[in-house]
Amino acid sequence: MKEFKPLPDQPAPNDTVGPIHWVKDNFFSSAANTIATLLILALLATVIPPLVDWLLISANWSGTTQDACTKDGACWVFVIAWSKQFFYGSYPTEELWRINLCVLMLIGVIASSQLLNKDWRNKFSIPAFLLLPFVCILILDGSWIGLEYVSTDYWGGFALNVLLAAASIIVAFPLSFVWALGRRSEMPFIKSVSILLIEFFRGVPVLALFFMGSVMLPLFFPEGTNVDKLVRVWIVLTLFMAGYMAEVFRGGFQAVPTGQYEAADSLGLSYWQKTLLIILPQVIKVSMPNILATFVMLFKNTTFLLIIGIFEVLSTTQTALTNSNWLGGHSTEGYLFVAIVFWICCYSMSRISASIERKLDTSHKN
Amino acid sequence: MSEKPQVKSSPSFFNNPRNRSIIYQLLLLFGLGYFFYSIISNTLANMEARGIQSGYDFLFNTAGFDILMSLIPYDATNTYGRTFIVGLLNTVLVSIIGIILSTMVGFIMGVAHFSHNLLIRKLATAYVETFRNIPLLLQIFFWYFAVLAALPSARQSMSLGEVIFLNVRGLYFPGLTPEGGASVVYAAIAAAIIGIFVLKRWAKKRQDDTGQQFPVLWVSLGMLFGLPLLALIVMGFPFAWDIPYLKGFNFRGGITVIPELMALALALTVYTGAFIAEAVRAGIQAVPHGQTEAARSIGLKEGKIMKLIIVPQAMRVIVPLLNSEYQSLVKNSTLATAIGYPDLFTVFVGTTLNQTGQAIEIVFMTMAVYFVVNMTISFLMNRLNSSVALTER
Repeated sequence: MKEFKPLPDQPAPNDTVGPIHWVKDNFFSSAANTIATLLILALLATVIPPLVDWLLISANWSGTTQDACTKDGACWVFVIAWSKQFFYGSYPTEELWRINLCVLMLIGVIASSQLLNKDWRNKFSIPAFLLLPFVCILILDGSWIGLEYVSTDYWGGFALNVLLAAASIIVAFPLSFVWALGRRSEMPFIKSVSILLIEFFRGVPVLALFFMGSVMLPLFFPEGTNVDKLVRVWIVLTLFMAGYMAEVFRGGFQAVPTGQYEAADSLGLSYWQKTLLIILPQVIKVSMPNILATFVMLFKNTTFLLIIGIFEVLSTTQTALTNSNWLGGHSTEGYLFVAIVFWICCYSMSRISASIERKLDTSHKN
Repeated sequence: MSEKPQVKSSPSFFNNPRNRSIIYQLLLLFGLGYFFYSIISNTLANMEARGIQSGYDFLFNTAGFDILMSLIPYDATNTYGRTFIVGLLNTVLVSIIGIILSTMVGFIMGVAHFSHNLLIRKLATAYVETFRNIPLLLQIFFWYFAVLAALPSARQSMSLGEVIFLNVRGLYFPGLTPEGGASVVYAAIAAAIIGIFVLKRWAKKRQDDTGQQFPVLWVSLGMLFGLPLLALIVMGFPFAWDIPYLKGFNFRGGITVIPELMALALALTVYTGAFIAEAVRAGIQAVPHGQTEAARSIGLKEGKIMKLIIVPQAMRVIVPLLNSEYQSLVKNSTLATAIGYPDLFTVFVGTTLNQTGQAIEIVFMTMAVYFVVNMTISFLMNRLNSSVALTER
């Protein structure tokens, strides 16, 4: 019997593989594409060299005063000279270790959540993450734990943006969960109160809420009560965040199949057992990416605090730009620096969100 | 089994869901009642202590301050009520500019994500990832203090054909002053718009009945430009050009776009455009690829596939996302106050509140305005949504 011998594989035709084809396919596949490619290349060629020159090559890196900026490029001396203010605000120099300690703890908690196994993550990382902002507030304030008291007037810079965002989301988390439950409730009064709360804090510009916090909240408290400015901001940020997160959770609740509720009911679980043990874990899983997106929004919105006179990072930048020793028009450098810092944080959070989405995806579609 | 399961005929009072729900709601009602009672009594006491009169009478007092830009006639002798209108109109203006431009930018960048050209794809991604992740306020400051403040002074203005000027004080356009007979031109424009609506309905009915298509777009464009042009020629161009000219240190005449408005509109456009681009990308990705293949297999051209197959289905995902983006654009326009563009927030919550001290009334009125504006957007977008939503049979 004659054995069947297949012919050896032929290589793919030359015009469908290889770098030349890749270039042709991606850049010159049609006349319009060729024109677009050439136009974009021309644009990049005119924009990038001067930009790189300004940013790096003829930039000024060393020195401590404005006079050190002798070359035509960017004056990074400005950013370097003010970097302590940008990150720490006017927190006393000898107490800066407290902020560094908080940052180290934050890095430690984030690292632990990546390194530890699932069991320890639930036992250590998550509680530590939830407690961290409060621990940091105690350390930064100092008077409660026997350190020197540092008034909130001195808190500022990028550290304040991070702290306020983190402290707000952690309080907003349980609050928004309750609001979202209320919105799904069958009790008409509780339902309508929840809807009103959620829609109010979502529908009103956050700036109006900040003004409410700084102009109207003092009127609401009994006479003589003096609530710290940062605490008022914290309350407002928390409520604002809770409104948005409640809607995220509502979406999460809707994504949990009805069968899960019915199965929990048929096992005889009580309402809270059902909600906390069966529904909540699934809700958090499906809404995690949206929670992170909301957090990114909150984090970016902490810059709005400039308008009511809180010394967060953008406000510090404005102060630095109007300082009489630095009136040389360094606004581009200053804003660029702050933008890069924010960009790194927000972009990495959106990457983390995408990776969590992949990790938590226990469906069988792949 | 001798034991019988013990089943109560009715649950105890507290285990009855009906009773429980009434108790919970009563508790909430009393809690809220106490909360509001204490807030209101505290507020009244505080206001009395500070000597603030409540009420809306202040709206009829003379404002006594000037506003940088106003769409209606306004001067310092007008009332606080009029400052409210001026601010409201400025907010509406910047919101409309922002919504139109960001939609254009967002759709272009969203579609660019699916380009065959790698460079265009990468540029679209770079745009979205850059501007989405930088705080809006920072972007506003960047355009206002770093870019627009670096423009030349009035005497060294950049100009386009000596009719449009750009300098550090703003952008100057020529304006049109209507003369006798201008109303005929306005009537022609109105007639063209009505005509387009009628044409569109007729063309749709004809296509539904007979399957024949009618070139609606070209005929509409022809009507929109042709009718007013005809009216202009017949009436002998009843408009006078009002071209800006340099007088002293500044330009006079024409239409001025102040740098505050430019910076705010630019920042809102670029920031919201990035989010809309993401929405458009998500919408197009949500359309199964089989739709494109099916459309190709029945012989539609690529342009028609996009227009007739992909976009109508993508709109179902895009429209609800657009709704929330537009609403956040309107809310974000309050950041005008950081650079001094006289929107509702700057004028009313800023200056008027400072002068009158009527915090509660003013904050309440402002919040109500943003609520109404957002409800209007939501209503319009829901109308649009129901027209693009999937009709299942």
